[in-house]
Amino acid sequence: MAAWLCWLIPIAGALLVPLLARVDRRLGGYAAVSLCLLAALATSTLLPGAIAGQRVWQQVQWIPQFGLAAGVLADPLSVFLANVVAWLSLLIAIYSLGYMHGEEGSSRYFALFSLFVGGMLLLVLSENLLQMFLGWEIVGVCSYSLIGFWYQDDEQHWVGSPPDAYPPSHAGMKAFLFTKAGDIGMLMAIFMIYASAGTFSFVELGQHSGWLERLAQAGLLVPAALLLFAGPVGKSAQFPLHEWLPEAMAGPTPASALIHAATMVKAGVYLVARMAPILLSGHHDGVATFFTVVAWVGGFTAFMAATQALVQHELKKVLAYSTISQLGYMFLALGVAGLAEDFSAGYTAAMAHLLSHAIFKAALFLAAGSVIHACGTRFMDGMGGLRKAMPITFASMTIVALSLSGVPPLSGFWSKDAILHACLEAEQYALFGLAALTAGLTFFYSLRMIALTFLGPRYAQHDPAHPHKVHEAPAIMWVPSAILAAATALLGLANPFLEDRIRAYFQPVYGLAAHPVAHHEGGAQIAVATSLVMLFLGGFAAWYVYIGRRVSLAQLRQRYHWLGSIRTFLWNRWYVNAFYYHLWRRLLALSELAYARLERGGMDRLQMRLADTVTSTSLSAADRFEAGVFDRLQSSLAAGVGETSQLAYGRVELGVFDQAQGKAASGLTSMSRRVFKRLEMGIIDRLQRLLGRSIVEAGQTYRKTQTGILSFNMLYVLLAFLILLLIFGGAILWPW
Amino acid sequence: MSPGTPLAQIVFVPVVMSAIVYLASRRWAERVGWLACATLLYTLALAVAAASRGTLVEEYRWASSINLTFGLRIDGLSAPFVLTILVLSAAISVFSIPYMKHIIGQAHRQYGVYFALYLLYAAGMVGTCLATNLIEFYLFYELMLIPSYFMIAQWGYGERERVSFMYFIWTHAGALLLLAGILTTSAITGTFDISAIPSLLGRLAVPLQTQTWVCAAMLIGFMVKLAAFGLHIWLPYAHAEAPTPISALLSPAMIGIGSYAIVRIPLTFFPQVFQQYRGVLSLWALVTIIYGSMMALAQDDIKRLLAYSSISQMGYIVLGVSSLAAMGLTGSMFHYISHGTCKGLLFMVAGTVILQTHGERGIAKLGGLASKMPLTAIAALVGFLGIMGTPPLNGFQSEWMLFGGVFSQAIRSGNTVDLLVAIVGILATVLTAVYGLWTVRRVFFGPCPKHLEGVVEPPLTVLIPLIVLVCLTVVLGVYPRLALDHLAPAIAELLGGL
Repeated sequence: MAAWLCWLIPIAGALLVPLLARVDRRLGGYAAVSLCLLAALATSTLLPGAIAGQRVWQQVQWIPQFGLAAGVLADPLSVFLANVVAWLSLLIAIYSLGYMHGEEGSSRYFALFSLFVGGMLLLVLSENLLQMFLGWEIVGVCSYSLIGFWYQDDEQHWVGSPPDAYPPSHAGMKAFLFTKAGDIGMLMAIFMIYASAGTFSFVELGQHSGWLERLAQAGLLVPAALLLFAGPVGKSAQFPLHEWLPEAMAGPTPASALIHAATMVKAGVYLVARMAPILLSGHHDGVATFFTVVAWVGGFTAFMAATQALVQHELKKVLAYSTISQLGYMFLALGVAGLAEDFSAGYTAAMAHLLSHAIFKAALFLAAGSVIHACGTRFMDGMGGLRKAMPITFASMTIVALSLSGVPPLSGFWSKDAILHACLEAEQYALFGLAALTAGLTFFYSLRMIALTFLGPRYAQHDPAHPHKVHEAPAIMWVPSAILAAATALLGLANPFLEDRIRAYFQPVYGLAAHPVAHHEGGAQIAVATSLVMLFLGGFAAWYVYIGRRVSLAQLRQRYHWLGSIRTFLWNRWYVNAFYYHLWRRLLALSELAYARLERGGMDRLQMRLADTVTSTSLSAADRFEAGVFDRLQSSLAAGVGETSQLAYGRVELGVFDQAQGKAASGLTSMSRRVFKRLEMGIIDRLQRLLGRSIVEAGQTYRKTQTGILSFNMLYVLLAFLILLLIFGGAILWPW
Repeated sequence: MSPGTPLAQIVFVPVVMSAIVYLASRRWAERVGWLACATLLYTLALAVAAASRGTLVEEYRWASSINLTFGLRIDGLSAPFVLTILVLSAAISVFSIPYMKHIIGQAHRQYGVYFALYLLYAAGMVGTCLATNLIEFYLFYELMLIPSYFMIAQWGYGERERVSFMYFIWTHAGALLLLAGILTTSAITGTFDISAIPSLLGRLAVPLQTQTWVCAAMLIGFMVKLAAFGLHIWLPYAHAEAPTPISALLSPAMIGIGSYAIVRIPLTFFPQVFQQYRGVLSLWALVTIIYGSMMALAQDDIKRLLAYSSISQMGYIVLGVSSLAAMGLTGSMFHYISHGTCKGLLFMVAGTVILQTHGERGIAKLGGLASKMPLTAIAALVGFLGIMGTPPLNGFQSEWMLFGGVFSQAIRSGNTVDLLVAIVGILATVLTAVYGLWTVRRVFFGPCPKHLEGVVEPPLTVLIPLIVLVCLTVVLGVYPRLALDHLAPAIAELLGGL
């Protein structure tokens, strides 16, 4: 029951929020917080069962005609994700009360927030692919709406720097379209799976693996798996569909925290985690390709995004690129899990990093929101030296930044280390190197961010005459952030005790190798050593430039031009973004060209010419017919009548009445002849003339009806139609 | 007519009421719209009652000399169409009241003519879906053309006489091809009765060559109605220049009847031809989908954009039909409903924008309207999300079934071309998302330009139909069984009988 209520309550409640907000503005926010609390409590009740390794699986009929059921699946994986989502949502909802205080449209915000939480919980608790897709899209729509929250596109809400600056409405659209592209691939895969397996249900797909064999025989197993991965690539902002996440920073910061850091972007990781054991159950060799792709996409994205985070000017953008990078780590872990003998190492590492990241990234965003709110600018150029003015925020943000970088003994260190270890276990040394390098870069950009924001001198504000008085955020905003910072520290300290428990927790999900087999001795030590070395390198470099201020990067770039080129390359987002806009412009140009040449210039002109030809042909034919044929016919008809009457007259007259004249008395017959003649001539002649005239007149009159005026023709047709209707109607009604 | 004849009433009560509406207009002016709405709601109630009884057939003597009965049949296949048409007609009749006010103004009688023609139009559309024999079908097919032609000619925009005439000639030309097919079929089988012909054709073992020609004639006639690529040039004109309430019926309600007709007539009569040429049909559908979407991207006029979008959506329906699979076909027929509600919403929104901005149709001149008309903006978003196939709207349900069927069929047959068509088809849905979201952004988001500062939310007579359609869209999206419980068995039976 709880598994249903988790998501039903927030979704249904989302409809109540605008209504409550009508009564009192603040009620909307309180309602949203309450809904999140209820959902969080519901998800907690699922924990005991999940820890015991049990699974809740319930179905109801949805579309039985096509074998689609609606249902919930609460196994350790879903319950884990559900709790992460629900509790983080609660904290962020509380934070939002402060952030959105007095903001116009806050009821819309909280309604979307609630709907989002419900959608996300629906996603992770669904028992089948299609229902999961429903949740997937609901969070997509909420994401679109929340990114574009300030849809009036005021200057202050834009994100980016010219020429790469975008308004919120554009950012929302971009997010939706990029994720849609991924979703389409995922849908294709879902259909292929359904065509082969006849079901959408996760449990059934896992139990009867014959469909894997069927797909493989059709040569579609690897394509389907890769297409399925396209969805996570889009939703979790991996290369090449990652370009929407930086722009998503246009939305309100708690939305960024919730959606684009803690929860929605994890949906892709969830799906891969869900499907990985199912794909492996068929023991098919082709699946290795899938995992290799996942690992490399993850690893490459992690590296690429980290390089781009190095050069950002906006606080939230550093965090956005950092998110993309850390998600890459998760996919890397899942990928190598499938390539290793011991599936549990990579899998557990991915899940641990998911939890770790959710906590520290949410905290980072919440703290960033406080800072941006206080300074009135999103650019780090406008910050600096905030350590004294915002001490609590400084402390929280530093702790979680260190956790992000993987500094022991915080939780980020353990989870990242586990990923590195898993790479070694799977003998993926190239990926190991990439991940390690990225770890160094991560510490660099994190320290850079802290330094530019909190340390050093206070940078000049927009108007030096009226310096912005910066003060600590209100309690409702720093408390959630501090809680999360404490959590990351506690989790890190407790990790050595929890490690085995976590591994055992997830084991029922994939039910493979029961105990971890460390094939490579000393792998754990190498991993730790490497990460510490990279931390040192990255940290030292960052300190050197940003904290100790021993050197100016601008001067370095002037001396070594190649440094400047690298910076430009990174600043221009590896030119991937530009490429996409180029594609869009091409598409638009092609459409406009096709419209002008093919549609208007081709088919339209063809039909117009056809119409004109037909019209002019009929006009000239009509003229010719009338003049040449009709008129002539008319006059010859008149003449013919005349001739016939002459002939008739002659025969009748001369034939009959002459004889009569010869027989009868002269006076009577002559008189009757004269009278008769007159009558005859009169009648026939007049008749003839009348006939001729009538024909001509009829022709003239008929010509008058051909007015060419539309309304007359309308009238004729309407009359005809009414007559027809009467006839047919009468025919039907007659028996009655 | 006794009360026990719901189907006959559904067709003829609007006809009778059209005369009454005309007469009442002298006193009531635009309020006769409410009378029209009441009539349509009454027929809707009858239709719902009739549909819930499963299959219902009514027959009347017509011309016994040539063995012709006038029959009306509502079953699992025609019920969704009839109900969608009636719901849309009822909702849009309410929308017509404020809209036609800004075109007609004070000429009272014209309201009477408009709503009379409106009722005749609705009757024609419904009659087409209920007809049981080919002559009756043809009669109603032409019958729904005439009132719409008049309405475009009288109250349309731009070169309305020319456009309406173009619309008339194109549809009529298609209908004549259809008539040729009908007459040939009845000459071969000796009857006009739709339910009797398939078995007769089967028994007579007509050569495939002949079947192909007759089927092609009928199919092309219907493809003109559907505005498939190559035969579509009339649609952007007609839908853009028609008065918007009529556009809102032309696109969502009427052109889809072509798809109903394809399934009811050529598909059932000549299944072998369809089996043979399904590849060609699916390619034609694919081209229509892509071409319609690309043309929509190039438009500045909102109504033309929606018109091209309709062409694209009809392509989806034909793609589903070409799969000849139960799921694909059911998805197609369900897509008629989804497209009906969503496109109805979108055209009403377009009409609202035109109404509230006093005639502005160019997207370049619009913007930032969401702050002035939030409810309208939500309706527009729901409409576009629907045709994009976003859950939890009905468009998602129809699209997944449609494409699921197409994919299943492609994988089962192992044909590479089929699989490619399926893949490209589903990729093309991204185009729908592109023009949909881009249009919402250009019209509703961003800063509000100076000349649109005075725009306000439309009156209740516009908002209520919008809300009704939004609710329908969502309800059917979450619980599609309302339609599927009747539709799926009918389709399964139809395919089983082939």
